[in-house]
Amino acid sequence: MKVSCLQDGLQRALAQVSRAVATKTALPVLSNVLLSTDEGRLRVAATNLEIGITTWVGASIDEEGKLTVDARLLSEFVNTLPNAPVQLSSESPRTILTVQSGRDKAGINGIDAEDFPVIPSIDAEAEGFSVEVDPQVLREMIGQVEFAAATDESRPVLAGVLARFEGQTLTLAAADGFRLAVRHGELTQPVPERLDTIVPARAMRELARIIGDQTDPIRIAITPNRSQLLARVGETEFLSRLIDGTFPDFRQIIPREFATRLELGREAFQNAVRRASYFARDNNDVVRLTVHPGEEEFMPGTVEVSATAAERGNSQSFVDASITGPETQIAFNARYLADVLGVLKQGQVVVGVNGANQAGVVKASTAEDYTHVIMPMVIGAQ
Amino acid sequence: MATVRTILHLDLDAFFCAVEERRDPSLSGRPFAVGGRPDGRGVVASCSYAARRLGVHSAMPMAAAVRLCPTLLIVRTDFAAYRAAAADVMARAQRITPVIERLSIDEAFLDTTAVPGDGEELAARLQATIRDELALPCSIGVAANRLVAKIATEVAKTRTKTDGYPNAVLAVPPGTEAHFLAPLPVSTLWGVGPKTADRLAALGIRTVGVLARWPEEDLGRRFGRHGATLARHARGIDDREVTAAPRVPRSVSTETTFPRDVADGEALRSTIRAQSSHVARDLRRAGLAASTVRIKLRWSDFTTITRQVTLSSPTDRDAAIRAAAESLLLASWPFGRPVRLIGVGVDGLREPARQLALPEGRPPLDPTREHAAREAVDRLRGRFGEDTIRWGRP
Repeated sequence: MKVSCLQDGLQRALAQVSRAVATKTALPVLSNVLLSTDEGRLRVAATNLEIGITTWVGASIDEEGKLTVDARLLSEFVNTLPNAPVQLSSESPRTILTVQSGRDKAGINGIDAEDFPVIPSIDAEAEGFSVEVDPQVLREMIGQVEFAAATDESRPVLAGVLARFEGQTLTLAAADGFRLAVRHGELTQPVPERLDTIVPARAMRELARIIGDQTDPIRIAITPNRSQLLARVGETEFLSRLIDGTFPDFRQIIPREFATRLELGREAFQNAVRRASYFARDNNDVVRLTVHPGEEEFMPGTVEVSATAAERGNSQSFVDASITGPETQIAFNARYLADVLGVLKQGQVVVGVNGANQAGVVKASTAEDYTHVIMPMVIGAQ
Repeated sequence: MATVRTILHLDLDAFFCAVEERRDPSLSGRPFAVGGRPDGRGVVASCSYAARRLGVHSAMPMAAAVRLCPTLLIVRTDFAAYRAAAADVMARAQRITPVIERLSIDEAFLDTTAVPGDGEELAARLQATIRDELALPCSIGVAANRLVAKIATEVAKTRTKTDGYPNAVLAVPPGTEAHFLAPLPVSTLWGVGPKTADRLAALGIRTVGVLARWPEEDLGRRFGRHGATLARHARGIDDREVTAAPRVPRSVSTETTFPRDVADGEALRSTIRAQSSHVARDLRRAGLAASTVRIKLRWSDFTTITRQVTLSSPTDRDAAIRAAAESLLLASWPFGRPVRLIGVGVDGLREPARQLALPEGRPPLDPTREHAAREAVDRLRGRFGEDTIRWGRP
């Protein structure tokens, strides 16, 4: 292999794929990055078998070839080089990559490219299931959902985000057993039949990161054996394994009617929850919402957000709200409230509750595309 | 001018004995003690006034008590019965005022400032109610603050000349606190232990009256911040409120000294299981959950170890505490090693709070039901004794 490319392009490509490089692995080749010549460009790829990232760098190819080398070492060396042409070369069958830029030169011991796992490309899957979606919509959707996925692997499907393609709608849902986030978004074209896939939450976060400021539509494909998801984002291809299993039927968990419904300013509510959370820290993160409706119908009421820690003290904040339904009290984990209030974009939010032991709902007051369900905490002698 | 407060200090007379006597009237007037057996390592938890006259006092080893008083009748401690009786008493006190601060199983402060009527009359009425409805004797001190009310109770008990329960009431009218305290020994005051009493005696201060006249600055120099408190208390001043909210305990524990060292794993486990249930019940009574469970083991050579584990979420449930205590025992007891004392305790107490889970299609679980079951068990034990109902073993 004999290739020449610009330092900054190579640096960016290595950074892009670095998130897919395995850090602790029994398989040394997974800590490597695959460099290969590909139709006049240099292809850079990494995978940890859960996700894979492939990207391309403009290059002049003097001799075709491929090789894998330690991703971290190559990145570190390239990052310190000046922004000038860099020559990458190796002499098959030797597996040493020579990196040269001006008077700086390194020889990095690598591993044969044949040992590197095959990362499917989206073009090869053109026959299978494939959709297009707006990148910024998808990024926002992921951000509003992924944090609700379980962080432990005791129930694998809950460590993933459900991606449901149905009609012209993409639905993302995640639940960790205590809360559920559901977001709907539009596909550019309808799909012929419904398809459910479960993508690891970590992979979803990576995909959102790769999307970045990208504005061109993203193509998403599912391999025919339904084991992998592929996404083409500009010059980068992202691959994730899919989680096998059936996601719980989230629709019947979502309460549709509320005994008490409040509408209040998101920022004021968020600040009140944050203040309470400092006191809640020492008390299982319990934050109490006490809903005081207005004295008369159509009079605004208040929501009292309070927390108590036996040894530290307590706090109360009052937030104005329009309230329908009777006075009520419910307690939530402060973190869960803070998480959802942090991802809602609109200025007004709606909270719906059906008593202290039933699921509560948080959503935007003006948009119906996002619903967040939180189970309450029960306190004391309930 | 601030309102003059009315504080009642209620103290049940020889409480455990009174409960036993109520159950078995033949004990009346006889020397008896409640506590452990004399052939083991039992101590006197409480003793009748007849026994007290013979020199028996609480916390004394039972064997020593028997030596002093060979005819001493020994009654086994029945905490469940005492707790139930104390709850009955507090319920009567609640009828007078909700502002009650319990100090221990048989002692409480009542703030009756807002209650119409003279403090001494209220005290007499409460005493009569407890006697008539519960057949239990008590003494009550009445004053404008906690300190003087408590001392009034003590003084009332010693002043009463009777062979039986004192059943005393003593009121110290507002404004006469200093005068009332003046002739009493300084050790009557809170915070004056033997050491402080000795240091005061070295200055020639033996009575509260002398202490009250001593220059406060000098007390401050000699005793630091404690000096200022001494000076105020000596004048009968105490601003602390009676707080109805139960004081949040920092830990709950129970331990058992075996009559003979135990080397049988099954016996140790069964003790620890009973202790775990006991601790869990105390937690529920206090409305708290614990985040740490510990066990204590004392070997026959008196060396003592404690081992603890932090739970993933705070609990007030028997099963969770039992499982933690049992696994600690398993990890820290070398098989066959004789154990003199074993105990279970919990720390990191906080309001119990449990995160409910999403229903996931099943009908939502009712969290009140499990709690109701535990409540029922607690009530059964409170009423019929610890052994009424036990956890089955899988």
